[in-house]
Amino acid sequence: MTPVLAVEDYRLEYASGGKLLRALDDVSLEIGPGEVLGLVGESGSGKTSLAAAIMRLLPANAREGGGPIRLKGENLRALGGRRLRDVRGRRIAMVFQDPATALNPTLTLGRQVSEVLESHRGLSPKEARAEAIAMLGHVEISDPEALFSRYPHEASGGEKQRVVIATAFACHPDLVLLDEPTTALDVLTGARILDLFRRLRAEIGMAGLYISHDLALVSQIADRVAVIRGGRILEEQPAASVFRAPKHPYTRLLAEAVPRSDRRLTKDEAGEESLIALDAVSVRYGRRGLFRSRTTVGAEGVSFAVHEREILGVMGESGSGKSSLARALAGLVPFGGQIRFSGRTIAEPGEMDRAYRRAVQIVFQNPDSSLNPRQRVREILARPLRLFGGDVAQIPRLLEEVRLLPGHAARFPHQLSGGEKQRVAIARAFAARPRFVICDEITASLDVSVAASVIELLLALRAAHGTAYLFITHDLNRLVEIAHRVAVMRSGRLVDLCPVTSLGGDQAHPYTRQLIAASSPSVSQ
Amino acid sequence: MSELLRRLLRTRQGALGLVLLAPVALAVVLGPALAPHDPDAISFTTRLTPPSLRYWLGTDEFGRDLLSRILVGARASVPMALGATLLGTLSGAVLGTLSAYLGGRADEAIMRTIDAVMAIPALLLALLVLSTLGGGAEDATLAIAIAFAPGMARITRSVALAARQQDYVASAIARGEGGTWIVFREMGPNVIAPVVVESTIRVAFAVMLVATLSFLGLGAQPPAPEWGLMIAEGREYLHQAPWMIIAPGAAIAITAIGFNLLGDGLRDALNPRVDR
Repeated sequence: MTPVLAVEDYRLEYASGGKLLRALDDVSLEIGPGEVLGLVGESGSGKTSLAAAIMRLLPANAREGGGPIRLKGENLRALGGRRLRDVRGRRIAMVFQDPATALNPTLTLGRQVSEVLESHRGLSPKEARAEAIAMLGHVEISDPEALFSRYPHEASGGEKQRVVIATAFACHPDLVLLDEPTTALDVLTGARILDLFRRLRAEIGMAGLYISHDLALVSQIADRVAVIRGGRILEEQPAASVFRAPKHPYTRLLAEAVPRSDRRLTKDEAGEESLIALDAVSVRYGRRGLFRSRTTVGAEGVSFAVHEREILGVMGESGSGKSSLARALAGLVPFGGQIRFSGRTIAEPGEMDRAYRRAVQIVFQNPDSSLNPRQRVREILARPLRLFGGDVAQIPRLLEEVRLLPGHAARFPHQLSGGEKQRVAIARAFAARPRFVICDEITASLDVSVAASVIELLLALRAAHGTAYLFITHDLNRLVEIAHRVAVMRSGRLVDLCPVTSLGGDQAHPYTRQLIAASSPSVSQ
Repeated sequence: MSELLRRLLRTRQGALGLVLLAPVALAVVLGPALAPHDPDAISFTTRLTPPSLRYWLGTDEFGRDLLSRILVGARASVPMALGATLLGTLSGAVLGTLSAYLGGRADEAIMRTIDAVMAIPALLLALLVLSTLGGGAEDATLAIAIAFAPGMARITRSVALAARQQDYVASAIARGEGGTWIVFREMGPNVIAPVVVESTIRVAFAVMLVATLSFLGLGAQPPAPEWGLMIAEGREYLHQAPWMIIAPGAAIAITAIGFNLLGDGLRDALNPRVDR
């Protein structure tokens, strides 16, 4: 039987500044009918290049070599123009990472599905509309008629990704490429999208290539898993065994880096005395207009205390108010209620004095945005040192503490990798010798293995300095590994706050149980 | 600074811009010393002489040597245009960045005022300012700067608004930085690229605006060898002596193109992401 997709000894290079950079190196893989192959690798491993090569969406500086890419026996590399357009969308469909950018903001959601049906299946506009509405219903959209005439900005992230999936499945393609389809979504939505994908797969039985950096996720979805690094496929195994019996040392490393709910990385207990306390803190956004004021609630009446040396985990979906709390604590947004810190009561950001600013530091989610691209690492670190009574001579020691080299001081942020950038951001926070650091989803934009090393670094810094953390994340397993207590937020309110040991116990809020059910089950289970 | 120059020379536009601007700079610094004739010497026997070995660029209706007048006039035209542009773009850029940083009502107040000022055409505004201030080169420079600032503020604000959303600004606020540091050190370097490009385009406009003001009798006064004034004077002899317009026109064009290319080069040289 011919495989749906067969790639043989495929090579790909990118021409850049007179040099050739190898992106894919003798890649061979096969996907049989009805089979899903998982492709796992970190950023820069070449996994997205492979998807682009299959889809024939390579940039102009790409240089191909090696063997063919066959779709049901037909060499895609030999196709061009009209015949290639026939393959794209109709025989190979793609689901992109971020539905917010994959959909055209000026077309209605329904039109984006019906357009595909009209151009690839030759339906009349009327038939296409009916078929598109049926498709939207098929991807479990509650009111497909209403959604049909809405624009992308009027739909939630989950709904948008469902529309993208409906578009991909609309023509019953031979092969679907899924490029991290749940990464841009929050936990509950992502879990529902995965359920949908499993169901569609069972119904339609098409073949798929599932690309992700998350080994745990892929091993649940795929039949076989291929691990790629530096453009080379290191090993390929049935999904059931890749975790339990990884052959290649790199796969073992990846498996080890996945957060697990059955192990604990924080060994000691938190202190007894309260370090910083929130008393009915509320955050509202929007501005007062001339005639009416429109406000949205970021957080509403949240009260809790963080103890000395404690890691308090905060979890919730996007829009649950986690980041609003972080911004209020860092004095970035006006807030209602009070913050109590070392005997003082603070009712507005203006009352935060230098001592508070120094003791409370924040590390943001995305280091690309939190590090000034026009400043060298040296300047980035020197400023808080000068401001908070440190010495610029400490920069090499500071870099060493976050496991960077002294030579990194002369670099600009764009010359560093994602993990290195986040280490610089952490070093900047620790330059102030803080007592409390807010970590706002600091591992969300990092690969699993890099995230694991950043977590390890945070724990080492805590051991050395006795810092307390407010650790905001949507990854429950991560919290179980490191947090002492877990706060669960929903629509701006605190719904649950309990020690991590009794998480999901008898008194747990139903929403907490939902989150636990949605988080990817631990590997050992 | 030497590093910036090195990066500038490595960009093709920057190097070409410097090559074009080198003779302009030379004329500004050494103009009177280089001039082969007295720029104001009137000679009726050589009126409207076409370019020749004796008068390289020809003479005007009073027999004055055009090359000498251009060389001497560089000192009047170029620093004035450059000064007006620098003053206008810098004040506009700071205003725009500040407006974006402050946000809310302050932003509204600043931007609506700027909208009101922008409703008046630049030339009219410059005329208004100039007639209020009196006249002369310094006042003309100031008038052009004021006419340029609002547009610059608008352009800068739109870039600065994007920079304002970045977490490095949030991070600076969180560690208790003041507005001056944030506007000049955190946001400033990130909004510089469009400001540099826009301001180099405006140098050419400034040269023309200076010329227009001179033509209307509010800037430089005859017999000053100001480039714009020379073009204005040459208009009457367009058919008999086209070199009277071509020579100062070419000088303005070389200056404008030079600054434009320099701006493109500076944009790349100031961006650390562009290597080599």
